[in-house]
Amino acid sequence: MSTPSPALRSDLQARGRSRTDYLTKPGTLAIVRPAGGADVDVAAADPETLEPFVVVEADGTVTAFNGHVDLGTGIRTALAQIVAEELDLGFARVAMVLGDTALTPDQGPTIASETIQITAPALRSAAAQARHFLLARAAERLGADVSELCVDDGVVSRRPATTGDSAGQAGAQSRGDNRYLTYGDLIGDDVIRLALAENVPVKPVEQHRIVGRSQPRVDLPHKATGGLVYVHDMRVPGMLHGRVVRPPYAGVDAGDFVGSSLIGVNERSIAHIPGIVAVVVQGDFIGIVAEREEQADAALRALAVKWKPTPTLPDLSDLASAITKNPSTPRVLLDQGDVDSALENVAVRAPRTYTWPYHMHGSIGPSCALADVSDGRVTAWSGTQNPIPLRNDLARLLDMPVEAVEIVRMEASGCYGRNCADDVTADAALLSKAVGRPVRVQLTRDQEHLWEPKGAGQVMTVDGGLDADGRIVAYDFQTRYPSNVCHTLPLLLTGKVPPTPVVAQMGDRTAIGPYDYENKRVVCHDMAPIVRASWLRGVSALPNSFAHECWIDEMAEEAGVDPVEYRLRYLKDSRAIDLVNQLAERAEWEPHVGPRKREDEAGILRGRGFAYALYVHSKFPGYGSAWAAWVADVAVNKHTGEVSLTKVSVGQDSGLMINPDGVRHQIQGNVIQSTSRVLKEEVTFSDIAVASREWGSYPLLTFPELPPIDVMMVPRPNEPPLGVGESASVPSAAAIANAIYDATGVRFREPPFTPDRVLAALRAAGVSPQADAPALAPPPAVTTTKSRKKVLMPLIAAALGAIGSLGVTTLPWRSAIPPIAPPDPSVFSAATIARGEQLAKLGACFVCHTAKDGAPLAGGLAIDTPFGTIWSTNITPDPDTGLGRWSYPAFVRAMREGLHRDGRHLYPAFPYTSYAKSSDADLQALYAFLMSVPPVRNSVPEPAFGFPFKLRPLMAVWNTMFHDATPFAPDPTKSETWNRGAYLAEGLGHCSACHTPRNAMGAEETGAAHFSGGEAEGWHAPALTSKNPAPLAWDETALYDYLRTGWSSEHGVAAGPMAPIVAELKVFPDADIRAMAHYIASYTDAPPRETIAAQAKTLEEKAAARLHITTETAGGRLFAGACAVCHEQGRGPALFGVKPSLALATAVHAETPDTLLRVMLEGISVPDLDALGAMPSFLHHLDDGQLAALARYVRARFAPDLPAWTGLEATAATIRAHAVPQGRPAEAVTASTEP
Amino acid sequence: MPRTTVNGEVHELALPRATPLLSVLRNDLGLNGPKFGCGLGECGSCTVLVDGVAARACVLTLADVENHSVVTLEGLGTPEKPHPVQAAFIATAGAQCGYCLNGMIMTTAALIAANPNPTEDEVRETLRYNLCRCGSHVEILAAVRLAIEWSHR
Repeated sequence: MSTPSPALRSDLQARGRSRTDYLTKPGTLAIVRPAGGADVDVAAADPETLEPFVVVEADGTVTAFNGHVDLGTGIRTALAQIVAEELDLGFARVAMVLGDTALTPDQGPTIASETIQITAPALRSAAAQARHFLLARAAERLGADVSELCVDDGVVSRRPATTGDSAGQAGAQSRGDNRYLTYGDLIGDDVIRLALAENVPVKPVEQHRIVGRSQPRVDLPHKATGGLVYVHDMRVPGMLHGRVVRPPYAGVDAGDFVGSSLIGVNERSIAHIPGIVAVVVQGDFIGIVAEREEQADAALRALAVKWKPTPTLPDLSDLASAITKNPSTPRVLLDQGDVDSALENVAVRAPRTYTWPYHMHGSIGPSCALADVSDGRVTAWSGTQNPIPLRNDLARLLDMPVEAVEIVRMEASGCYGRNCADDVTADAALLSKAVGRPVRVQLTRDQEHLWEPKGAGQVMTVDGGLDADGRIVAYDFQTRYPSNVCHTLPLLLTGKVPPTPVVAQMGDRTAIGPYDYENKRVVCHDMAPIVRASWLRGVSALPNSFAHECWIDEMAEEAGVDPVEYRLRYLKDSRAIDLVNQLAERAEWEPHVGPRKREDEAGILRGRGFAYALYVHSKFPGYGSAWAAWVADVAVNKHTGEVSLTKVSVGQDSGLMINPDGVRHQIQGNVIQSTSRVLKEEVTFSDIAVASREWGSYPLLTFPELPPIDVMMVPRPNEPPLGVGESASVPSAAAIANAIYDATGVRFREPPFTPDRVLAALRAAGVSPQADAPALAPPPAVTTTKSRKKVLMPLIAAALGAIGSLGVTTLPWRSAIPPIAPPDPSVFSAATIARGEQLAKLGACFVCHTAKDGAPLAGGLAIDTPFGTIWSTNITPDPDTGLGRWSYPAFVRAMREGLHRDGRHLYPAFPYTSYAKSSDADLQALYAFLMSVPPVRNSVPEPAFGFPFKLRPLMAVWNTMFHDATPFAPDPTKSETWNRGAYLAEGLGHCSACHTPRNAMGAEETGAAHFSGGEAEGWHAPALTSKNPAPLAWDETALYDYLRTGWSSEHGVAAGPMAPIVAELKVFPDADIRAMAHYIASYTDAPPRETIAAQAKTLEEKAAARLHITTETAGGRLFAGACAVCHEQGRGPALFGVKPSLALATAVHAETPDTLLRVMLEGISVPDLDALGAMPSFLHHLDDGQLAALARYVRARFAPDLPAWTGLEATAATIRAHAVPQGRPAEAVTASTEP
Repeated sequence: MPRTTVNGEVHELALPRATPLLSVLRNDLGLNGPKFGCGLGECGSCTVLVDGVAARACVLTLADVENHSVVTLEGLGTPEKPHPVQAAFIATAGAQCGYCLNGMIMTTAALIAANPNPTEDEVRETLRYNLCRCGSHVEILAAVRLAIEWSHR
């Protein structure tokens, strides 16, 4: 268990100390407030009923308490600055405790940029009050007047007299007195408790030394070095790991099916996973507790759960209509003048609708929490934004008194509103209560995406108009905002809280707008949620301002006035006017009317847009935080529809800035995040649930897209400090939309402004040329391979006829070879055994004869064949269930003729048809090896073949028809290398077993069909001839690389059943690998190396030239977010492992998409091949539609000359049904540890 | 028993070779630096160095780093003695919530080790697939510039 970072001696160190500890310790001065505003004598009251604000201890430590938490904005640093300033202490002396329900004051949730504006004044006051108290004491002891004293880092002395009249100046000073007292001296052993007073004088701004100066953040040294800071890092002894299984109605939390959709959980489905401690089911809540995290994770994916069907959602692809149809109640916020009459008399009437999409908070770290429910108490370590409400929720969920619950707030991934932090804390509490041990629950990426309460969509309609003079005379603004108050999820899932929708009144933020129009009506239509939602940075103010600020821009053009000048006509607030003027000047705003459509020769259109907002938040009518304005410069590519921000100039008036660097970071962060939201982000939905489950389907702004940002901070040190956490986001969307309009003359009223949406509108408006051939046009149909069964039927019939004519009675039954006593392995030389082991690997004996989780070579692996399932046999020397009683002749007969020791015929899933070619010496070595491995007792099932294949004697006929048992004979016309390669590849290597097609009777086809492609475990085994579908021919070099390392830069990574084969070949010398490569290359008809290299270059260049289609399509954007990090050549970081080029990949050039889709669903894990890296499975993160879009894009981008695939979505669904994610996590917990 | 070197120390771990590397680093070795972000290699918050090259620990297994050398954020430096890249990120406040910080620092450290003088475009390209939601990009790029400068000292 790691220890807390020492300098963050705050939240965690505070833990373990109660209010009583803080408030009764001798040598403390505490400023407190009676909880709940009770009127009590704080000196006599129970300390637990007192909320401390500032505690000064005699040892010089100062601890300050705030109910609000640091959501990653650096508020901890700013609050400490305020306390240090008012106490005249060095900044480093102050520790902050934030949001610990056992200690900190109840100041409500950390929302609406309120901390500095609303909660900090009390803290400032408390610190000032402590200072006044200490100064008064010092004055008494020093026999001086308070006004004669000064404080320097907690040391009080008489102010030096100066020759001039201004105090504190350096220079000609004389010390009036050399006596001093520290705060510690002044407190002594006393226990001093003072009630937080009102109207305490605070230091004037001119005397500030710490506030108003940039202060490095206290948390970063620890965050940058791996200290214990985040809730994700919290560990306690005895801790278990939990995962939750969420219902299929992902992201929907209202409706009678919520909490009552579970039919059943089949716990046996995870019986194979070790370490499971409990499966906890309560209503629709399902949790799994395990000893290890990856065990819980594997169980989450493996647990079989049955749910009732989920009701469908309204069609959210037409959001404006879905929101408008959602039942609502109008609430008039303002009705000024006579809007209706004014509307009737306007010269220009301009009704407009603006639509805002659902957004995600998008925390980079999925939520996590740790809870310990024991001895009737709950301690929960949480990243919550709302410690006090969460405390109540946990008490309700667990049926425990609120006083028994403590929330220890720790830092978490930034949330910008409410993410799943509360949900996961409740999950952890439920699971800990169930198992009686501390449980840490980590949500997965898909769960955070699916279930985080979304930033709600919104529809704003404006009806208004101008008079003949171009004045705005009517403004009728209506806003529709689906509610955002969501319950902590486990309360709903367990049925503790009924799933009735809550209608909140939160659509009204900044709904009034800043412009003073004569006739103005503002109505908010309050409505129930459509999907689970909560506040997200800027809440409803950002969409409302989008509408206000776009509409006034549109009207400026109607009126023939510059948009900035037009705004100023209607702004009455002097600070707003100053800000707008100053920013316009700084950004060198060029007054203009209407769109300028400045275009360069490359078809790039450039424009500028302006927007302004005073973010008015909190319960209506609310109050303003910082003022903000934007000038956005955009470049729009008319050929691709791409919009890039070339510059953002942003101005903000924040009042007094406590930590100016912190304010600047907030402004920049708001600019970047809101740019991302406006240009790229939109939650997508299936017909029942949220569909975006990873970053490909919900892309964020990346570094190369970052615009230059010019920040103008208006100095207002004498004005009260204002919240800065959200303001700079609010003008974003309108400024960008206004800039795009200036560039193109096309008005966009619904973000995100993605290339496909922009291009479609530009084409519709005639700005962009019509596409010659759309990048991803519907393809001509491809004939898909006919179903195997149909093709094979006639053959099967013919073969059966042949067998029938032979007559069953004439079928030979071969004699048994007598059993022997198991040979003593010591009779074999070590060298022979070692050689045998190598050959066993060439023969892939381990691959087929070792079951998942089973002992090596003990058999039991199920192999699906077209004729039924067969289980590999036990080939360890166990006398009863393995080969123990097999003599060498019996072994050789099996290897050459396909016969069991007892005379039964074996099926050719065992490739004796190839093994027969092995030399006696090699078979002897192989026998020696198999007889020397540890015997394992393991019986395997009989093959589950249907008639006629279950008749083993028929195999005699089969052998007669298809098997040639002659050992390998070298071809004297070929080289020694070729012959060696042929021996290895055609014998024990049995390449043809998978790479050659089989006839209806399951026999390899011969002649030209040899190596012409087959099937292995449901994977297509490509041809090893010139028919190979790879865009580049396989020559000896490529084959050697691939067989040696599992990777060829011209082809890719050995995946599927080929990966273990290559891994087994590791033990073979280079010469043998080279020989196999040489032999196989004799079939591929490859051109010279230089030609292949040139072809590769051409293919790469072609793919690079089509990079643009990445941003233009949803499939391309998925690729950019999910795949490009490892597959886009020439982009991104150098990463451990290989970077397979899709322009060269066989799967991308194959006739069918099956292999590509399968790899996406299952991933690739090659743990036995070194330094290749791994590809994760996207089974749980991409749905069939997303996979189809991705595959369509990949084909169009990387194999543009081949016909597009069809039926992708259906194929994806079929492959998904049988997909088994490779490598991890399930296998991680079940694979046996190596001996 | 899989054997791997983490932050200079050799570990023999009695764990299945297919155990996710991130789980081993965080839960078995008690390291906080590498963070779980997506489990898909998309966001970069789990980044570690394997043989000095940036690697996404969430998609690797113990087997992938068998007989390789892994360095985590903790292995670069401490609050008292930070690595130049860590020092640069602290000095420029190259983070808000800091959850992505591990990935930014580790990716930058790998970049500078391989290319001591990357251009601004190279830096942005290298960090393209490291996601930051707080929008600390400006400070992060400033940190990288400073780290490049300090790495030459």
